[in-house]
Amino acid sequence: MILKALRSRGARKFRQNRLAMFALGVISVYGVVALLVALGGIRLEETFERVSRNSIPGAWGSQTSEKRVNDAEEYLEEIESALDNEEHLEYRFAERKLVDLPVEELVERVEESWEIWDELADVSNVDEHPELLVKLDEVEERIDALFAPLEGVDGWMYAFRTYLGTDRQGRSITVRAVYSIKLAIQVGFIVALAATLLGTLLGAAAGFFGGWIDGLVIWLYSTFSAIPVLIMLMVLVTIFIDTPYEGTLVPLYVSMMLTFWIGPCRVIRGEVLKLKELEYVQAATSIGFGRFYILVKHLIPNTSHLMFINFSLLFIGAIKNEVILTFLNLGVKNQPSWGTMINQSRQEVINGFFWQIGAATALMFGLVWAFNIVSDALQDSFDPKHVS
Amino acid sequence: MWTYVVRRLLYNVPVYLGIIALMMAMLRVRNPVMMFLGKSATEEQIADLTERIGLARPFFFQYLEFLGQVFTLNFSQESWQQPGKTVGDLLSDAIVPTLWITVPSLIITAGIAIAVGLVSAFFRGRALDKSLVLVATLGMCISYLVYIIFGQYFGAYKLNDALAGEGPFDGKLFAIESWEPGFPGNWIHFCLLPVIINVVVAMGYDTRFYRAVMVEESTRDYITTAKAKGASKRKVMFVHMLKNAMIPIITRVMTTLPFLFVGSVLLESYFNIPGMGRELLTAINELDFPVTQTFTAVFAALFIVTNVLTDVLYALVDPRVRLS
Repeated sequence: MILKALRSRGARKFRQNRLAMFALGVISVYGVVALLVALGGIRLEETFERVSRNSIPGAWGSQTSEKRVNDAEEYLEEIESALDNEEHLEYRFAERKLVDLPVEELVERVEESWEIWDELADVSNVDEHPELLVKLDEVEERIDALFAPLEGVDGWMYAFRTYLGTDRQGRSITVRAVYSIKLAIQVGFIVALAATLLGTLLGAAAGFFGGWIDGLVIWLYSTFSAIPVLIMLMVLVTIFIDTPYEGTLVPLYVSMMLTFWIGPCRVIRGEVLKLKELEYVQAATSIGFGRFYILVKHLIPNTSHLMFINFSLLFIGAIKNEVILTFLNLGVKNQPSWGTMINQSRQEVINGFFWQIGAATALMFGLVWAFNIVSDALQDSFDPKHVS
Repeated sequence: MWTYVVRRLLYNVPVYLGIIALMMAMLRVRNPVMMFLGKSATEEQIADLTERIGLARPFFFQYLEFLGQVFTLNFSQESWQQPGKTVGDLLSDAIVPTLWITVPSLIITAGIAIAVGLVSAFFRGRALDKSLVLVATLGMCISYLVYIIFGQYFGAYKLNDALAGEGPFDGKLFAIESWEPGFPGNWIHFCLLPVIINVVVAMGYDTRFYRAVMVEESTRDYITTAKAKGASKRKVMFVHMLKNAMIPIITRVMTTLPFLFVGSVLLESYFNIPGMGRELLTAINELDFPVTQTFTAVFAALFIVTNVLTDVLYALVDPRVRLS
């Protein structure tokens, strides 16, 4: 069925659409990244790991000297207490560990750093005193020197982790945003596939068999469509509260599947109603093929373009609604997703920190844009008369 | 026509019964009694409360009772979570702020989107059209939530800083959250920013829709005829095309009408506006069945009535359409 669809005239038109091919490329890149993450490229624990101080901006950002002084203090305090409790071997930020020196040496170095830091401590406006800024740089350099230099792959990994900065718990924004790609693709794919299949089966059966089956399906989708989508999603998700599935992906799958099947069902029913009057169906009937055979073998394959279009649209719907449900505290818990990230960044935005919301939005933007372009191109190539 | 209307409404009775049954059944998967009483409740307390709020009876009885209330327009059941308030009071209080946001949003969005759609179709395939379509598509790729977060940051926090105490409302042109009645002063202060956010979000979808409508209309034969007889391009666009495009436009606007009643759950909960959306979110989270059910019943009624009305209006506007 898929091979046949790929050889059709619409598919040729689609392939000639360069923008759509580029968008397909973008989707494949996301898909590959998702696959790599799923295969263990980024483990779930890594998304919770502290990689630096809290709310550090990304590679091309800057921070106030007030925060730098503050961060330096926290670093020194943490290292000092780690040394006191002889836990300095465990003190680390991802790949970044303390330098391998005798404890006394380290204690001494921390002491020296404290001495410089003390001069900065009570100054309210470090920015206005160039000589203090030099001191601040020096403290930071000394703290850097307390950590072992990162070389080779470790260095690259650490640069990757801190590239887009850290959130309010010092976790890597890059790692969390990239890990979320897997989640988005997973939710989008499963929801879109399940809803399209459910809608197609019901719609095709209704359109083809007519009679009471048609009546039943129409009644079903009229009923479901008279409840606003978000309300329906919210009620369906809350059903899973207090069950083992709360906060997992299952409520998202189920709620979105039961809400989104209506679109494909309507479209496919209409198409099958139209197709079943065509000569080739009559021909198949007169040869003596059974009705079920004709439905599965001839009619459903001929609606495959509509299935693709709906799949693509529902993919977008699933990704967007995951974000919204997470904001309403009904989405995934205990794992990062773009929704969790955007939700967490509300407080950061008020403080003027845009790295987390920016990273999540940018990655989501790319994927949704690509699916939008592909949906439009599919529509243009296979169903040009349709007004969206 | 009246027979048509009555018949359509009768057809929708099973659908309406289905909607209410579906919603009641979905809600009753969870048991609210445990949540109300907490974990330390005794068996007796549980049984007592279950009895008192009417959950002890079989589902079918609860269903019939609720249907009776709906069909006699009796909205005087008490809310479970806000004792002393009837469902009717709750919903009629919540509808006010919601309508102050949704109605202006709809009018502004439709107005701008139709205009942009016309312009886009007028310059179809040229740079202006292409850039408008591009902007609309790009705008659709960003989450609603991001618009709200940045809208509040720049529209409320940043603007207040920039005004530095000057101007109306002590330099706080847009409120960061909450709502108070009053027009136009309080409306500008509390509702205008949410309305702007709403318009910006809806603009992408609506512009693309109206452009597609206009483009489709512009390929019709009557346009060719009008052009052939020498009508100016402007006249063709605004007189011939816009008039004929009214049918899809009316349909689109009509189908959004019932949703004016729902409001925006996200916007209202983010800006802390005591509207329908926020009320519903609370009701769903706190298992306030009477509120959620009644809301669904009212919404579904509006939904069905506007659907039938749309078809009637369709026939009135377009002489080719016959009601049958």
